[in-house]
Amino acid sequence: MTEAPVQTELKRQQIKMANWFTVPSHVLLAFIVIFPLIMQVYISLTWWTPMDGEPWYNAYMSFSWFDNYIEIFRDADLWAAIWRTLLFVAICVPIEFALGLLLAMAFYEKVPLQNVLYSVILIPMMVVPAIAGYTFYLIFQQTGPLNILLSSVYPGAMEINWLNNVTRAFAAVVIADIWQWTPLMFLILYAGLMSVPDDQMKAAALLGASGWQRFTKIAFPRMKAVMTIAVALRLIECLKIFDPIFVMTKGGPGVATQSVSLYLYKQTFGDNNWSYVAAIGLAILILLSVIAGIILSRSAKSAAAQAKAA
Amino acid sequence: MIRFLRIAFVLVMALLCIAPLLWMLSMAFKPPEEWTSAAGQITLLPKNPTFDNFIYAFTGEAAGMVVSLDRTAWWPFFASLLTATVGTIIAVVVGTMAAYAVSRHKVSQGLGLSFLQLRIFPPLAVMIPVMIMWAYLGMIDTWWGLALIYGIVTLPFSFWLMKAYFDELPREIEEAAFVEGCSPWRTFTRITLPIVRPAIASTALFIFILNWSDYLVALLLTRKEWTTIPVYMNALATAVNGELFGVKAAVGLLAIIPPVILGISIQRFLVRGLTFGALKQ
Repeated sequence: MTEAPVQTELKRQQIKMANWFTVPSHVLLAFIVIFPLIMQVYISLTWWTPMDGEPWYNAYMSFSWFDNYIEIFRDADLWAAIWRTLLFVAICVPIEFALGLLLAMAFYEKVPLQNVLYSVILIPMMVVPAIAGYTFYLIFQQTGPLNILLSSVYPGAMEINWLNNVTRAFAAVVIADIWQWTPLMFLILYAGLMSVPDDQMKAAALLGASGWQRFTKIAFPRMKAVMTIAVALRLIECLKIFDPIFVMTKGGPGVATQSVSLYLYKQTFGDNNWSYVAAIGLAILILLSVIAGIILSRSAKSAAAQAKAA
Repeated sequence: MIRFLRIAFVLVMALLCIAPLLWMLSMAFKPPEEWTSAAGQITLLPKNPTFDNFIYAFTGEAAGMVVSLDRTAWWPFFASLLTATVGTIIAVVVGTMAAYAVSRHKVSQGLGLSFLQLRIFPPLAVMIPVMIMWAYLGMIDTWWGLALIYGIVTLPFSFWLMKAYFDELPREIEEAAFVEGCSPWRTFTRITLPIVRPAIASTALFIFILNWSDYLVALLLTRKEWTTIPVYMNALATAVNGELFGVKAAVGLLAIIPPVILGISIQRFLVRGLTFGALKQ
């Protein structure tokens, strides 16, 4: 009988401490979410820019209602940047996935110098993205190593400037992204492949399944969650792409490699349209939140369905 | 045959992974006259290898350089180290506390999702108010302003990673301490924290790499004094020599050494880190 009050007192103390423990997180979140969000809504309804010389809280002096939002639909450059970013993602992510998966399969059975090669292949993803961008900027120079190597197999000196042509510049930033992030796909998919129960793979081999069949029939269906996570991570990061493109081409030549992030950067610092950028940012925020909400509720549903089936 | 193809594929991929960095290495040791010359004359390896690029970056003076560098690489390296370290400490301390509370005592269950949302948005879509706030609070181009934002943007990683560890940790150990009359705070600091210390170390190193690798946030929130090494490196140029290709390669090469070494040393942890603790290796 004396036990119970002690227990509840302890429980009360624990909850009290737990609540205190979440305070710093709540403070930081409020600081970075609530105030900025209110500011962003406010500024997006005005024509304010820091060039006005007015502090931001006086932005109401150039109140513009929803003009910035209407502009979004008329802004051909923005839509071009959106489609370009989607194209970039649609090229990069599948290639990174395919190469990463092939590498994971190649590593499934022992390779000579396994540990060394594994570490070497992981190096690109640890390189600072802006510096990786600079590396590829050097490689694609007119006097860069790519032209030297091509000259040695191709008659005559190659003097292609890779970054000043619309198609080649786009290919260059795609190659840089594939170089840097294929290792990430490999890392995650390899971990997924190694977590497939060994006995199932061995049993399939004993029953006469070929190596290819073992992967497609036994391993891949069991790696669905891992594959989804790997692709989702890359999709999210790839849509945000900025650093390497900014360093390699600044979005050029013209707008050939201008992703959404680069477009926003140019609007912010090139054209000083801060209120317009705030409006686009809010639109992106709402759009991504809706998409994330749908995906999360669907995955929660399927998890619930699985739990029911089990 | 398949075995041969498999090994050949791995070797080619490993070579492709390292080759671009070898070119950086070669550039870093080339004197200015070899940085750019007519195609066909430029060589893969430096003809007259020299340490001048490194010397120039850190002393501001070197043979062959007409003007001295007004800002050497020391300070940007220090700025990167300081802001990334303080940002990591903020993220790990705040994230670990919240993760413990959420994992053990089921308070603030919505916190995790709020953190995840923070990671989805492109930074440039939400940076306008942050830049205004930072300017208003006088935090533009300060080390604490940059460290604070680093702490906030990497908080989702530390929260989810530490939560995954606390979820795995058996409660019995802590409950035994409670039975002995240990207060919740003492139990946390004396029992739980020492057990998860290796997890905290891996998380901290992982977050340090993320902070060190930032370019965009530093580009937006610093001007001159506290530019971090990636921003400094990409802006290296002088009026006379123009773009300092070799010096940039030298500084860039030095700047990627810490994350690569740390990354390889925690490579067993990377899968877990990158997937917010969802996958284990």
